[in-house]
Amino acid sequence: MISTIAFILLLAAAAIQAVFLFRRPAVSDPVSPWLLSAAALLLLGFSIARSLEIGFAALTSTFESLVFYSAVIAVIEVAYRFQKKAPFFPFVEFGATFSAVVMLAIASSPLLPKEALPPIPALKSAWLALHVSFAFIGEAFFVVSFVSALVLLFSKDDKKRMDLDRVTYTAIAIGYPIFTAGALVFGAIWAERAWGRWWSWDPKETWALVTWLVYTAYLHVRLVMKKKEALPSIIAVIGFLCTIFTFFGVNYLLPGLHSYG
Amino acid sequence: MQKFWRFLTSLRLAIGLIVALVVGSTLATLIPQGLQSEEYITRYPKIVATLVVETGLGHYFSSLLFLLPVFAFFFNLLACTINRLLRELKKKGQRRHGPDILHVGLLVLIVGSLVSYSERKEGAVTLRPGDSVDLPGGETLILKSFSDERYENGRPSHWISIVDLTKGGKPLKSSVPIRVNSPLRVGAVTIYQASYGSEATLEITEPGGKTTFIDKGASLASGNAEIFFMTVDTKGTEPQALLRVTGVPGTELVRLGSVQTEIGPFRAAFKTTSTTGLQAVTDPGYPVVLAGLILVALGTTLTFIRKLKELPA
Repeated sequence: MISTIAFILLLAAAAIQAVFLFRRPAVSDPVSPWLLSAAALLLLGFSIARSLEIGFAALTSTFESLVFYSAVIAVIEVAYRFQKKAPFFPFVEFGATFSAVVMLAIASSPLLPKEALPPIPALKSAWLALHVSFAFIGEAFFVVSFVSALVLLFSKDDKKRMDLDRVTYTAIAIGYPIFTAGALVFGAIWAERAWGRWWSWDPKETWALVTWLVYTAYLHVRLVMKKKEALPSIIAVIGFLCTIFTFFGVNYLLPGLHSYG
Repeated sequence: MQKFWRFLTSLRLAIGLIVALVVGSTLATLIPQGLQSEEYITRYPKIVATLVVETGLGHYFSSLLFLLPVFAFFFNLLACTINRLLRELKKKGQRRHGPDILHVGLLVLIVGSLVSYSERKEGAVTLRPGDSVDLPGGETLILKSFSDERYENGRPSHWISIVDLTKGGKPLKSSVPIRVNSPLRVGAVTIYQASYGSEATLEITEPGGKTTFIDKGASLASGNAEIFFMTVDTKGTEPQALLRVTGVPGTELVRLGSVQTEIGPFRAAFKTTSTTGLQAVTDPGYPVVLAGLILVALGTTLTFIRKLKELPA
């Protein structure tokens, strides 16, 4: 019920942002940040209540992870609206809201089990909670970088491309260390404690590494290329597609140790 | 020489190697790893199967296809790190050491991975309460009990082995729990709760009063009488042992449950005992890997905090 209300709020925010995309001169809508804040609070409250119910951080199933992911995307969007360092683009904000809507829509799919189940022994570890939460916070920043990179690829205005490149870079510069800590460092520490092997070349691990290498390539390619060129943005888009494949593709297409989430 | 150094320290080489690792790793997740050559031939068209087998894509992460770019990346990164560090140290003003820490962390991580890959050893043992096993450091691990705890809905909650540790007959540790996610570290060895199960045993009290446990397929004789534990019948409500008895007139095939029963000179009962599967691992590379991971995390954080601070408002 709570996640349904949050979904409606996110949908309303996306609709308002979509209307304002076509207003000339371009102005930011005054309502959607509040809707996004309310949706994020509801989703985080839902995660906390569920954590109390199962006696562990509610990050042990695809449904719980997607609820958390949507909440973090909404929080980052609100922060993006009110920050002063990176240029603000309504299109980027709308794209990120749309992504949060899509994630929550997938979470509500009848194909995903939603029962609140206490964790099995393999999942009972503080390192798991850190691994999953940090990986998703990092990936939520990559959502913003994905949308801004995509908008850059369709833009012809050099000034706008420079500004969009700055948004993409800023989002990746924040997301990359968080993703590195979550997906790779905490993941390896958890794997050593749970399975006695810190790295197994399991498909999910390999895809997390591939994602990290793609963003590493982005950061280095951007150093040697002019910022308005398309290649760094293409790599940023590929990086986000890798995060999506790591989360969904590996779960459903490739067998491995991470079959639970 | 200068030309070679410039090539070795080039960012373009680093990017090229990263791309090679991305492409190879991606392919390796799409092709099942570690199969026999014949299995690839039955799964794929001949040309693809030959390519997979000959290039090493079927065991990519231990093949030259992977190891060569990793080695090249290691030397490229080492050269870049030395280059960058020297450049930073020459600076008069504020230095940026975040990328250096990150790069050194990656180098340490690669070295640790190689040590881990070549030196990691593991072994597994199944124990019943009372059983013991000797560890490589001279300690003896004795299983006191194993519990398979469940939530109300039957979902597993905890698998816990309670063990004692002794060395040279002297107690070292008493009643230590080993849980999934909470291994026991004894010197260089780490012991993990890896699996659980149950074992069917026959408890036989011999005429002199001595109690012996025998497993399926084993037999026990006393005088002319002999009990052979053939198999376990699990079809009924309670599992039963099927025994072949010789030397006891009128008794050839016996079905035995958990109630102690007289069979000739013996008294026997069938018992199911919980067993635990413990895994012992030594990995001298892991502390190096952990140090590398900490440096990587620290290096990325310092690098980007600095970069974000420097962005104009």
